[in-house]
Formats: sequence, structure tokens, C-alpha cells
Amino acid sequence: MANYNIDAKKEMTYDAIVIGSGISGGWAAKELCEKGLKTLVLERGPLVEHVIDYPTMNLDPWDMDYRGGLTPEQKKKHYKNIRSGWVGQDTEHFWADDESNPYTEEKPFLWLRGHQMGGKSLLWGKQTYRWSDLDFEANAKDGHGIDWPIRYKDLESWYTYVEKFAGISGEALGLPQLPDSHFLPPMELNCVEKHVKSRIEKNFPGRNMTIGRVAHLTQPHNGRGQCQYRNRCSRGCPFGAYFSSNAVTLPAANATGNLTIRPFSIVQSVIYDDKKGKATGVRIIDAETSEDMEFSAKIIFVNASALSTAHILMNSVSDRFENGLGNDSGELGHNLMDHTYRVGAIGKVEGFEDTYYKGRRPNGIYIPRYWNIDENSKSDKFLRGFGYQGGAYRGGNAANKEEFGADFKDELLKPGPWEFFITGFAECLPYHENKISLNKDVLDKWGQPTLTIDAEFKENEKALNKQIQEDAVEMLEKAGVKDVLGFDKEHPPGYGVHEMGTARMGRDPKTSVLNEFNQVHGAKNVFVTDGACMTSSSCVNPSLTYMAITARAADHAVSELKKMNL
Amino acid sequence: MNRRKALKRTGLLAGATVMAPSLFSLFQACKEEKRVDWQPEFFTQDEAVTIASLLDTILPRTQTPGALDVKADIFIDKVIAHTYDEEGQKSMRADIATFNQQSNKAYGSNFADLNNENKIAFLKEQEANSGKFNPGIWGTTVGDQQPIGFYRSMKSMAIWAYTTSEEIGENVLSYDPVPGVYEPCKPLSEVGNKWSL
Repeated sequence: MANYNIDAKKEMTYDAIVIGSGISGGWAAKELCEKGLKTLVLERGPLVEHVIDYPTMNLDPWDMDYRGGLTPEQKKKHYKNIRSGWVGQDTEHFWADDESNPYTEEKPFLWLRGHQMGGKSLLWGKQTYRWSDLDFEANAKDGHGIDWPIRYKDLESWYTYVEKFAGISGEALGLPQLPDSHFLPPMELNCVEKHVKSRIEKNFPGRNMTIGRVAHLTQPHNGRGQCQYRNRCSRGCPFGAYFSSNAVTLPAANATGNLTIRPFSIVQSVIYDDKKGKATGVRIIDAETSEDMEFSAKIIFVNASALSTAHILMNSVSDRFENGLGNDSGELGHNLMDHTYRVGAIGKVEGFEDTYYKGRRPNGIYIPRYWNIDENSKSDKFLRGFGYQGGAYRGGNAANKEEFGADFKDELLKPGPWEFFITGFAECLPYHENKISLNKDVLDKWGQPTLTIDAEFKENEKALNKQIQEDAVEMLEKAGVKDVLGFDKEHPPGYGVHEMGTARMGRDPKTSVLNEFNQVHGAKNVFVTDGACMTSSSCVNPSLTYMAITARAADHAVSELKKMNL
Repeated sequence: MNRRKALKRTGLLAGATVMAPSLFSLFQACKEEKRVDWQPEFFTQDEAVTIASLLDTILPRTQTPGALDVKADIFIDKVIAHTYDEEGQKSMRADIATFNQQSNKAYGSNFADLNNENKIAFLKEQEANSGKFNPGIWGTTVGDQQPIGFYRSMKSMAIWAYTTSEEIGENVLSYDPVPGVYEPCKPLSEVGNKWSL
């Protein structure tokens, strides 16, 4: 028995339609439903009901046929996704099918998608940080991209609002470049992390190490259970201990009685009425029957993920918007950003052989940005900055030992050496030429045009990565870490899975797609609050900011609707 | 199947798992010809004998079960049969053949037929001549990864097959599917063997 109303009536006019049910779509649905709007959520993939549809959540390795390995058929289905290193037998069903949903890489780009109810909120890393005015003022200060139409003060209360509901654990530091959230108790650093932290903070004044701020509950919260330290998050958490649409926002939306969620609904376009000067509904293709359908609504939230949201708007052509809905500026699909990924250092830590831990903490350490935060930390090599994630654990690779036989096997049963690593996330500048475009030559399974992605990291990102690696090696060596290996996987954009910028916010309709409340210029009843809306990328994980921006935009939408302004 | 396991499987894992009846899967039919007592899906009898013998040398039975006790060889056969593409399978066959050629050249027979002393001598040479794995983070190795070669790859696979087997994972290593807490600095003596998960 389904717990959700999935019976979307064609003739019915909804108050609101939300396209997509991931992190931002789930928040839009919750806010709109709670404010009394009859809301239809259109989800491209199947329903994934909390707990019920987490088939692998309790499986041990030996419970799985190949203990995590994928069959050649699965590898073919995920022929792009598997480049991420994240796709295994335990989560394969939550990654989009690359064969049915092709895309073209003009330059290398990894586009990871979650085509199901909850989207990538099931799979995300749960790192949640507020952005600061260092981020919101960055474009204005150094002249790259356009100025954000909002500042930290516009979002501050909305950050608090979403944090109180979602449940964010972390340690308050009082740093201006990384404002504190409304925190649940932090997770703990292990002995080696505490040791390395003290050495780094002693040797490098101004650099801090803290436990990751995460959307994991460290105590029961709003009826959800706390983290059980299984670290099987991306299979779906039976305790609802981490934030996902499935466990948190969609059940809240559903509880209002105002939610209808229609699975297998591929949104083809937003319907724009040239005479009314606003959008009137959404055109979909049923993914199972290929039937075309239309749904109407007073307001529409497009939350399909950064690239797909821009894709839908580009598909939404009318006499008024020949080049895509809201694209008077020509910026739709442009300014694509991601964070750099997997560049840092790793080494071994000696002296803690008698120490271990219990529990598989789904979190690590965080080192907030310390470059270009004030006059004293200015770099002459690059603009903006980076932060690190990382952690210590007992690992090692026993296969590397030049031993075998009885003693080797007995050693194998003991914990390996302590290892410590940090890996940086650098801010990417908004470049107009980093873009997506419609590809009418390559069609998807449903005969729809697909995307061509043409984006790359440039000199500034490369300079940031160089500094990330140099600093990482230096910090680890000064901290007494042995056999330090610096690394840079030289990943192209996409690997960070923080796609942003393809329908950016701004003050001027000539240079932006959205206004300061995320309304599409020229179609004020259409809102975009996912990664597409971001005007710059910060170096900080963006999901919490999507949540806050969405709640703020939904509040504005309903208030405008009541004033009959939409 | 007990209640916990029934719950765990929640309708996945369709189909039966291949399990051979006997614990010790390598036996000598006659002096010249060794055979395994299970039906490989991928390996030939000769290849299966080589792999079984290699696994038994790397991870022998001691006070704790060995690789063959937990059917690591049968699992590896299954993994190659069902998760390797044709090219991967082809190179696996070629690698096993080369491994035996080397052992023939050095000590006059296939690996499985060497006496214990020669097996150890041969694997020591393999250890010295085999590449090493770079460290990894977040699902991938980092740094400039040199080629690994058959011996260390198979050793790595043997360790994986062994430590992720139900017997070792639940009864030999420290097993705690739902820790409930994170204890960040726990004396190793209070845990014992390493965590299996």
C-alpha cells in the first residue's frame, strides 16, 4: 500500500507544481504544502518510500551475490556513473541509467544523477555548511560573474529555519568565513584526528580543524532516530538519521494532506502563456507509457537539479521566449560550476597502535578556508579559496605486505596502520563559456533532445588545486604524518557533484535568469531554487544553501500569491 | 534462515548461492592429477587447482579457517564468471597461464604441483617483482598507480574474498552491524580483531 497520493488528475489545476523531489524539490514541496497549497510533485523516476524501498539497507557484504561487484550489464547501464567510484551493488538502483539518459561531453564532464523520488538526497555526502558574505560578495569584489542579489543577512534566518527542521550536527567555531549553524551536538574526532588537529593548529595559526558539519542526527530529532554509525547511508537509512527528502521533507509534505506525487513523470517543458505573461503549467511524458500529459498550476518550482532544470527551461520555448524560458539574457545554461575534487595528501600516523574506535562514523574532519579571507591571507596566485575534508582511520592495504602464509593471515585479522588524509574542494569561477546546450542529434529513450556539456576548470582552479596539494603535504608533514603522498586526480568538473550556475540569480534581467527571490525574469510565477540558481560557487558544499534559498523563495511565492501578484 | 537474516535480505538475493558440500575443496584424485571437488563456472579444472593452491598458500588454515575453508576460491570463480567482461576474463586466463609458465620455468612444474618449499620460494619472488597498490580515498586510488600484476591482484582478491566471507566477517573479525555509538578512542584490547564492516 502506497503511503503517498500518486493519483494525479489531469484536469485538475494545482496551486503549485514542483519539478523534482531531491533536496531542494523536497523542501519546496514541504513549504508549499504546509502553507496550504495543493501541490503536485513531478518525479522523473520511481517512488522510493522511506525504509520500504531501501532493499540493501541491512545487507552485509556476504549477503550480496558479488559482495558489491557489478555485472557487465550493470556496468554498461552505468558506463559513465562508474567513473565516480561510488556505484556498487548496494546503491546501483539509486543511480540514473546512463544508457537511457545519454549526454554528450564536449569536454570531459561527469554528470551524476539520481532519477527517483528523493533524487540525490539519498546519495549525498551530508556535509552542510552555511555560506558567508565572503561568498556572496566574491563576484562583486573581483569582478568575475555578476553580483549576487542577496547577502548573508537575507539568508541567515532561513538557514536557522531549515537547520532546526533538518537537524545539523557540528561544532561552533565563530569563524566569519564559515558561519555557525544551529547545531545538534557534534560527532567526535578520533585520537589521531585530535593529534593531527593540535599539530596543524599549532604550526599554522589561522587554520582550524573541526568535525564535519553534517545533516546526521546525533540525538533523536523531530521523530527521527539518531545515527547508529553503520555508514550505510547511501542505501537509505532505516532510522531516518540523515537528511533525505524521503525521510524528512516529503513525509512532512504528505502529512498536510496537500501533496500529490506523480512518479515516472519526465517534464518536457514549462507551458508559458504569452498573453498572460506567466507560466500556466507543465508538459510531461509518462516514462512508462510514453503518454504526453499536461498539468496546470498557479506557481511552478523547477528543482530538477542544476543541469536538468536548465534543460527544461531551454526546452520551454514560446513566441515570447524563443531561446528558452527566462532566457532574455542569453545566460541560461551558462556559467556552469562545480568544485574541484580529490586533490590533497594522505599518509600514515605512528604511535597509536593500541588505539581503535567503535562505530563507522559517516563523517570526517573539515578545515575551513584560510586563503583570501582577509588582507593577511591574500594570495597572489589565485582568487577565492578552498576547504578540506578528510579524516583518520585504520586501513592500509594488506596485499602490499611482502608476506603470505600463516603469520600473514593472523596479522590480517588485526587492524591495519592509521592513515590520515585531507582532500580539498576549491571554488570554481563562473565562466560564461562553461555551458550546456540542447542536442537534437542525440535523443534519449523517450525521443527527447539531450544535453551537450562543454565545461572545464581553468587557470584559477588549477592554481587553487596546486595550492591545495602543496598545503596538504606541508600540513601533514608538519603534523608528523609519515610517507606523505600528495595527489591530484585531475578530475574534470562533475566529479564534485556540486553543479551550479546554469540559471543564475542576479539583479539585472539582462545578465541573469532569476531575480533575488529566484523568480524567472519575465515569468514571475516560475521559481528555480536548486543548484542552477547559484551566482557563484563558494568552496563550501552548497546543499544547505539550496535548502535555505528554497524555503525563502517558497515563503515569497505564497506571500505574492496571496497578494494576487502571481 | 534465522529471523534476522530473513529480515536482512528483504526480498533481494533471488536465486540460490553456489555452495559445495565439502569444506576442503582441493583433493588429489591420483598422484599426477589434482582436481577441485566443485564445478567452476569460469575456471578450467587446472586453473581452479592453481587458484585454490595459491589461496591456500597465502591464507592457510591455522587456528582460524583458511581461504579454502571459507570457499574463497569458489567465490572468486563466481565473481570472474559474473562481473568480468570478456576481455577481463581473457586476461585472467592468460595471467594464470603465465603464472604457471613461470613456476614451470623456475621449479619444473605448475604452481599447485610444487612442494611447499618451492611454493614459498616462488611466491617470495612474485612478492619482490609485483607492483603495489597506492593508497585510496573515497572509492579510488590516488597518486601515480603503477601496474600491479597478477600475483598481487589475486592476493588482494583473496584477502577480499576471505575477509568478506560470512564465517570470517561474523565469527572471526569483530562484527557489529549496528554499533549505535561512535567511540572515537577505544583501547584496541577492548575490540580484539579488526572490525569486519
